[in-house]
Order: sequence, then C-alpha cells, then structure tokens
Amino acid sequence: MNDNYHVFSDGRIERQDDTVRVVTDDGEKKYLPVENAEAIFLHGQLEYNTRFVSFLNQEGVAVHVFGWHDHYAGSIMPKRGQTSGQTIVDQVRAYDDPGHRLKLAKAFVDGSIHNMRSNVTYYDGRGYDFEHVLEELEDARASLDGMGTIDETMGVEARARKAYYSTFDEILPEGFVFGGRQYNPPNNEVNSLISFGNSLVYANIVSAIRATALDPTVSYLHEPGERRYSLALDIADLFKPLLADRVIFRLVNRGQLTTDDFEDDMNSCLLNEAGRKTYSKAYEKTLDETIDHPDLGKKVSYQYLLRVEAYKLKKHLLTGEEYVPFRRWW
Amino acid sequence: MVYIVVVYDMEADRTHRMLKFLRRYLTHVQNSVLEGDVTEGDLEKIRSGVDEMLKPGESTIIYRVSSEKMVERTVFGDDPAADDQFL
Repeated sequence: MNDNYHVFSDGRIERQDDTVRVVTDDGEKKYLPVENAEAIFLHGQLEYNTRFVSFLNQEGVAVHVFGWHDHYAGSIMPKRGQTSGQTIVDQVRAYDDPGHRLKLAKAFVDGSIHNMRSNVTYYDGRGYDFEHVLEELEDARASLDGMGTIDETMGVEARARKAYYSTFDEILPEGFVFGGRQYNPPNNEVNSLISFGNSLVYANIVSAIRATALDPTVSYLHEPGERRYSLALDIADLFKPLLADRVIFRLVNRGQLTTDDFEDDMNSCLLNEAGRKTYSKAYEKTLDETIDHPDLGKKVSYQYLLRVEAYKLKKHLLTGEEYVPFRRWW
Repeated sequence: MVYIVVVYDMEADRTHRMLKFLRRYLTHVQNSVLEGDVTEGDLEKIRSGVDEMLKPGESTIIYRVSSEKMVERTVFGDDPAADDQFL
C-alpha cells in the first residue's frame, strides 16, 4: 500500500506506539497506520521532534512540508534504500553531453505537449471548439525537432503551455477567471488551484525519484537547481495535465469547489483549509485510479505511473534503451 | 491487496497491546475493531503477530475480503474510518 496522508490540523505529529500520531491543538488524537504510508503531507502548523524523524527514516516514509501560500517548503526524506554510484555517474554524463541532454529535454517537452493535448481534445469533443489550440499544440510539438538548444526547447514548452492555458477560461465556469498563469503568489482562484495541484504532483514525484537511485537535483530540461529537486520538475511537467488539471476541472465544473473555498489576501488568492482538503481528497482519489498498462501487462495506479517514469529514465541512463516519455494512451 | 476486518477479545488490561500492534497497519474504528487495506505480506505479519500475543481464553478474528470493492459497508452515525487519509 502506498498511501499518502495529509495533515491539515495544527498541533503535534509524533511517534507513538510504533506508529504515527497527530495530536491536534483541540486535544484530539488521530493515528496513522505507518505500514501503509508512502508519504505524509504536512499542510497545517505542526511540531515534531527528532524521534519522529528517525522513526520515519527507519520506516522509509517521506514527509513533504507545505508552508505559507501553499508553497512546497521542502521534504524530509528517508535515507536512500537505493544507492548506485554508477547511476549517478551515468546521470551526470547525460547532463554533461549537450546532445544527450537536449534529446532528453525534448522528450520531456514532447510528452508534456501530448498530455496537454489529450486534455484539450477531451473538451474539444464536449461542446467547445479548440481546433485552433490543438493546431497550436501540434505546431509546437512539430517544431521541437528543429530546436538546437535547451533555451529554445524551453521556449517551445512555454508556447505550448500558454496555448493550453488559454482553454481554461472557457472550460471553467463563470466566477472562475484565469487570465493567464500567475504565481508567487497566485492572483486568483484558478492560479491558486494550479499552484496547489502542481506542488502535490511535484512532491509525489520527489518520492518516486527517491525509490530509484537517481539524484533528484540533476535534471535535463530544467537547469539543475541550487535548492530545488529539478529532476522532479522535469518529470512533473508530464503529469500535471493528467493529475493536477483534471482534478481542477472536475471539482470546479461540478461545483464541489466554489469561490467560498478561497481567501483573498493582499493581492493574492489562496485555497482555504476546506478548499485544500477538498482538492487533496480528489487528487488522492485520482492517484488511486488504475489503468491497464500495455508494457507491464497489468493494471497500475496513476501513482505507480510516476514511479514507472523514474524507473524508465534510470534504465535509459544505464542501458541506453530509448527513453519514451509518459504519454497518456487511453 | 486484501481488505480485512480484525476483532479481538482480550483481558481488559491487555487490550492496548493488540491495539498498539494493529494500529500500525489498520484504522481503529471501534473498541476492539480495526479495518483496512493491507498487502498479502502485511497480512502474514499481522497473523503471526496476533497469534503470538494471545493468552489462553483470548481470541482474535480476522475477516478477509478479496478487495475493498467487495465490501458493502453501511455505517450508522459517524464513520470513524471516513477520510482516514486526511487528518
């Protein structure tokens, strides 16, 4: 079982009776079955101590911390179960070889565009006319071949994402005005949902990469960051349309999230606690959805697809087998 | 994955041992009752753990269902297992 647990309450999180317990500020005690846990997401204000951290390390459970403005603040990762010097060496070699790096960067963008396209196609068939956006996405994808640098490749990704986001204002109902991507902080409901959703995807991929011996800081499309796990950013782009965005459309269009689930602060707009809870629940449900995997010959959960992606990349780096990015096939 | 419901009956001053053990794997839904999804491997660990802990006169029953989808679960009142992934 690879469950994610989300803690929204304020209080303490601690080791108790060989498992994890949350004691809320109201004095309520809630237990979390540690054996089923993949990661614990902390959204509330929580205190913890070293005993808690070493316990989770021993159990192989990650903690992802979310801070002010729903920002991903960082992770406490268990020590590596997997270490392989060879993987790191191959990973860095691929980064250092401009041709190889460019090829991987293009693969990530190619997959991302395909997955954006898949969302647009879905709505194109449901009363919206997105023919022009589909063409724009196809043009962007076709232009990838001719790109000679990482910057140009990034430019293609930006162009595609802009076209993709242009559909949001039409798909989302009245009251949810988007008007283009803004973050730091998000300026309206839609941007705040995208930021929150993307940070959940990112944190899940940080966990998935940890299951391999890959180093999360050595990336190909994004520049290896000083403080970020930039490889997680590369892989997250592939999955944002499938995970983060579909959940937004579903919740907003069905009225399960309304403008009451947000609070406006000085020139920012953020999900409130109820909104974050609603979103995380729908998001976790999506991660549990399963799909027949043609290559693996079995049903796998969306969450497992994230791990498959990390394994595929590792295999490519070690054996040279072609890396084919995740493309929604259903 | 299998879905299991575990109920136990032990001497009053010893029940916390079982609770403490089972909580690592399952959600505590009522006094002496826990339930949840576990892997076959964890089920084996639960079985041997439970067996070791019991004294003469005490008992534990594990109900096993092939999947959570096979369970029809009707709850009256507050559901203690609702949203147990969200604290």
